[in-house]
Amino acid sequence: MDIQALRSQIEKIDTLPTIPSVLRKLLVVIENPKISLNEVGSFISNDPVLTSRVLKVVNSPVYGFPGRISSVSQALILLGLNVVKGMLLGVSVFEAMQKTMVGLWEHSLGCAITARIIAKKKDLKEPEEVSVAALLHDIGKVVLGLKFPGEYKKIMAEAESKDIFIVDAEKNYFNINHADAGAWIAQKWNFPRSLVEVIEYHHKPHLSKSVPVQTAIVHLSDILVRAKGFGFAGNNFVPAVNGSAWQSLNLSEEDLKDIFAEMEDSLSQAEDFLLSDE
Amino acid sequence: MPKVSVNSLKPGMKLSKPVVNEAGMVLLGEGTELTGSLIERLQNMNMSSVYVEGVSKPQKSKEDIMSEIDARFKKTGNEPHMGTLKRLLEEHIEELYK
Repeated sequence: MDIQALRSQIEKIDTLPTIPSVLRKLLVVIENPKISLNEVGSFISNDPVLTSRVLKVVNSPVYGFPGRISSVSQALILLGLNVVKGMLLGVSVFEAMQKTMVGLWEHSLGCAITARIIAKKKDLKEPEEVSVAALLHDIGKVVLGLKFPGEYKKIMAEAESKDIFIVDAEKNYFNINHADAGAWIAQKWNFPRSLVEVIEYHHKPHLSKSVPVQTAIVHLSDILVRAKGFGFAGNNFVPAVNGSAWQSLNLSEEDLKDIFAEMEDSLSQAEDFLLSDE
Repeated sequence: MPKVSVNSLKPGMKLSKPVVNEAGMVLLGEGTELTGSLIERLQNMNMSSVYVEGVSKPQKSKEDIMSEIDARFKKTGNEPHMGTLKRLLEEHIEELYK
């Protein structure tokens, strides 16, 4: 299939019968660039399952407000519209994530936690934005898995049998990878430019023009979470760190050890969060 | 930081992590010393286990964790900076088992 045809097929994912109904409803809200904070708030509040998931995530170690947010409107004010939109998407694709690839939700949540830890270390102004970008960085895997379930199973089997990275197995099959697919869908869904760029370049952070630091953070988070063996992202190897991302983050050995230590605590809390029922 | 079933809690144990309800709200803060009546309330609350202060021991053996790390780095361990990352992770794991 040529790339344009593939792209337009992927962009039509909203119409798939297998797409979770909450996600379908949500996309109407997310794709509308003019939506107000209040409209998003009432959309969430009208759905008790979504409300409880949102409150669980905002009170989890992914964000910096453990146990302090008790209402959806408070979450919106503290986190801002873009972060909440991204997070909504994160919490509504998690069944699809688990169906596509067992462990991908853990991997994504682990990256969100780690990205926030690094962002705070680097004194970024909006650690929550980096965190939500990390939560969604592998959305392309979900998209490919939903749109082409049979093919994606083969790709995962090939990554395992040939001992190769999932991103290379995707490329062998589709001539594109999950980062491309994720960026297409993120554009289609009117995600902010910064989020599209992180998704597109999380494997090639040196290509990010508008948010190189955020992209480098998500890139490194992906590596650290895999190094720790938290969750599963398609293969069990740690990818190599990009040289320019490494340099631009300029983390000392002391910094990195702090990051591992903080990850240890937050990831074990996240495990409880993942294991607790709805 | 061991996690202890609510049925084996003893008065005098201290929480090493806050107890939160389903919505993520803190019910008991970190450092709270448990009393008989608090334990009873936790048991009535459908809570399975809580974190209490104590010696922290991860569940797997150190040797297993280290060999898993070796396996994960087998493709890229020699790439620039990856040796550093691996060493720092190993040092971190060593610390946990001290």
